[in-house]
Amino acid sequence: MISLEIFGAWLAVLLTLCILSFLYDDNPFYKAAEHLYIGMSAGYALVMAFWQGVRPNLFGRLWPQIPTDENSSLFQTIWYSIYDFFNLITTGFGIFDRSIFPEGGIPEYDEIKLIYLIPFILGIFMLLRLVPKVGWLARWAIAYIVGMAAGLRFYRYLTSDILAQIQASAVDFSLDWVGVINGLILFIGTLTGLVYFFFSSEHKGSIGTLSKIGIYFLMIKFGASFGYAVMGRISLLIGRIDELKQFSTSEYHYATPILSIFIIICLAIWTFAGKGVSREHSVS
Amino acid sequence: MNRIKNILVSLGSLDRRVIFIIVGLSVLIPLLKPDWVSLPIKNKAHSQRVFDELNLLEPNSKVLLSFDYGPSTMPEIHPMAIALLRHMFAKNIKVYGIALWDTGNFMSTDAFSQVSKEFEIAYDKDYVNLGYKPGGEAVIQGLTSDFRTKYKSDLSGNNIDHLLLMKNVNNLEDFDFVISLSAGDPGSKQWVQFGTDPSNIPFTTGCTSIQVTDIIPYVENNQILGILEGMPGAAEYESLVETELHTMGVSLTPGKASSMMSAQSIAHIVIVLFIIFGNISYFSRRREDRNNS
Amino acid sequence: MLLKRHIPLLIVIVVGLITLFGHFIAHEGVNNFVKNVSTEWFDIIASFAIFLGALNMMKLHIKKIFNKRRNWQYSILAVFGFSFAIFAGFLYRGAYYLSISDVNAGKTSIVSNIIAEEINESNPLIIQHKLISSKNDYKIDKIYITKESSILLKDKLDPFVENIKIKSIDWGSHVQTEGSLFYWMFFQILNPLSATMFALLAFFVASASYRAFRIRNFEATLLLVSGIILMLGRVPIGDLIPWWMVSIMIVFGIGAISAPFLNERKTLFGIVGGGILAFIVFGILMGWNQNPPELLSIPSIQSWIFDYPTAAGSRALMIGIGLGVIGTSFRIILGIERSFLGE
Repeated sequence: MISLEIFGAWLAVLLTLCILSFLYDDNPFYKAAEHLYIGMSAGYALVMAFWQGVRPNLFGRLWPQIPTDENSSLFQTIWYSIYDFFNLITTGFGIFDRSIFPEGGIPEYDEIKLIYLIPFILGIFMLLRLVPKVGWLARWAIAYIVGMAAGLRFYRYLTSDILAQIQASAVDFSLDWVGVINGLILFIGTLTGLVYFFFSSEHKGSIGTLSKIGIYFLMIKFGASFGYAVMGRISLLIGRIDELKQFSTSEYHYATPILSIFIIICLAIWTFAGKGVSREHSVS
Repeated sequence: MNRIKNILVSLGSLDRRVIFIIVGLSVLIPLLKPDWVSLPIKNKAHSQRVFDELNLLEPNSKVLLSFDYGPSTMPEIHPMAIALLRHMFAKNIKVYGIALWDTGNFMSTDAFSQVSKEFEIAYDKDYVNLGYKPGGEAVIQGLTSDFRTKYKSDLSGNNIDHLLLMKNVNNLEDFDFVISLSAGDPGSKQWVQFGTDPSNIPFTTGCTSIQVTDIIPYVENNQILGILEGMPGAAEYESLVETELHTMGVSLTPGKASSMMSAQSIAHIVIVLFIIFGNISYFSRRREDRNNS
Repeated sequence: MLLKRHIPLLIVIVVGLITLFGHFIAHEGVNNFVKNVSTEWFDIIASFAIFLGALNMMKLHIKKIFNKRRNWQYSILAVFGFSFAIFAGFLYRGAYYLSISDVNAGKTSIVSNIIAEEINESNPLIIQHKLISSKNDYKIDKIYITKESSILLKDKLDPFVENIKIKSIDWGSHVQTEGSLFYWMFFQILNPLSATMFALLAFFVASASYRAFRIRNFEATLLLVSGIILMLGRVPIGDLIPWWMVSIMIVFGIGAISAPFLNERKTLFGIVGGGILAFIVFGILMGWNQNPPELLSIPSIQSWIFDYPTAAGSRALMIGIGLGVIGTSFRIILGIERSFLGE
């Protein structure tokens, strides 16, 4: 009997090798793994957004777990009957176990906050984008998100990214000559880099010269970014190969070598037999 | 002479699959045979700064450690998490774990579980793990005003008012230091903009290599105190911590990042050689075209 | 017009202004709304946006299957993947654990041994101590994906324990708990796929740099040289490169940078050859074999390039991006920027 752990290891190795097979060519293994990844990622994101975001922060505020007895108000009774109705739908009218809407309300908060009906309604409007006739209602929800992000970021970018950085660009002349030169390099690089991005004037004459110096600093920056990008990607590749190495031992029934040979054989068959046929079909 | 010229020109037109195989082997062989290539790790200024800043903290200081990464960037950042926790627990610093990424919960659980076995530490005595909250910068902003508007319970569901370590912790200013282990957005940048800059709290970060050049202006301006740059940064910090623990008489298993630096080095050399050969071939072809024309 | 354009604009303007000016208004209610309430609403609506994206994508794939468009067979896998994630997230928890109480007299040691073997605990006495000190239910520290797996342990404990309950982690916590189907799906399927997608880029970065990194002009040379120095200087192998090799690289670098400005090849070769010779002779005379200067150490050069020219370029970009963000934010708040409405 194969344990779930061994099965999981073989699955992980198979999927890793399917993605890596793209290095040979765009093949069915890769396409299959890619589509599986797309679908599962979407599902994962939806599940996490619900359990981590919507359920505690929205439903938990609208229907918190508060004691209900004979003294509960009429409003509370009607309100929680809506909750029970939602539960009825999500359990398939009793077919499935109670999951999303537990008995008596959602634990975490202790007070009903009806103001959270506003994001609930805006959220529903967002989903109505799927219905062409009323899809325009999503604009209201998008407007809230865009407005909030704009207001939030305006102040923070101004303080941390602009004012603080301009302040930091000032040269400290009290340092030794090496420090002063380095400070001047930082100042000139920052200023000329900014001049390069100033497109309201033509880059001619002195602005052209400053802009050109700015490009040089930016090129050095992009070269460094490239170097770090290579470093990062290689690190991730090392991580994957290390895991494949881990799964090539007898503990995991030599998953890596066996599956590697399997994929290579399949790709060879696909190359010499199937690929020629499929290319003709795709052309016609 | 012509033969050499042809070789040089053909060096510039290798099939990309040959390149892939060579890059793959340059990573695989050092991992399979680590004894063949063993390189000493020298510490760089940025990693040293992180180490020195944490060393300045007194025992019982409170450090907020944010796990803002996931399993796909684990090879770069998880070794940093382990090394940082080892350092802080060795110095008897109280660690408060949170996460701005949902996958951060898995990372924090794994890191605390691994390091707690190495030191005699206990939950709610030496560390707490409050878990993930969605919202990114909104969470950070909320923490600056009132912790309890964002966190009502820890990762295991315990009410945070019942936790000993959460006594007298009301907002971000009650922490002595903040560390973000960041793989993207939300991460270091958001911590600086929404958390540590407005509250003026010492902050450092360990991040993926891709982000380093974007974060460096904050480091130069001391908005971030030092930075652990990807896997090399993790290896350097592991080396610093191992030396420190050795002086304290503590011996632990070596960190993972250090063992992978050989593979990293060889792969870099291979890519640099490819760039050099590509340029040699380019100049040879250009000269040949000029001669022909 | 009113509903489709003016009301969304009004929402943007009002929310944007409140969020922006909330920093400057010392009123508890406003501050609480700006810092806590409004950001929570943002998260909730953003979560619905995620639902929309996921459902829309599934709608496209399902349409592709029904209309049998090209490669429609792969869309079945996409829909399967999505359905599996929904099943693991909402319909099947897994994450079963055993909770025991009322251990038969004198059988604590046997029960501890069975539990220790199950959870790979080397010292059963720790389990025994926990069993004795737990007043009511003792939760066995192992989580199972399937109920059948937990029943295997239950059967082993049945003869020695009066009360054994098979419970499951709460809904909601199951997405984060090891032993749930969702957790298994994430680590065994999603994580290998996502990590390998990223790792694949390493190969393409190598191939791209081989084909595209050419010393065509001065700017390209700067980019190339800076990238190479960083790649070598940031890893341990950079410390092993000897001073004379660094000298040769510096001279070649100077030659590469000045090549676009020199017409005579002989001049270029003269500079390069002379430079290499001068460095080596000077180095031997100055005893650099024992104590090479910092300038001839790749990590030091890399460190300086990173701390100063690179930081300057990054800072210029950061300020430029910051100015762009506040400009666009201001336009959005004033209702001038309407691209989000589809206009």
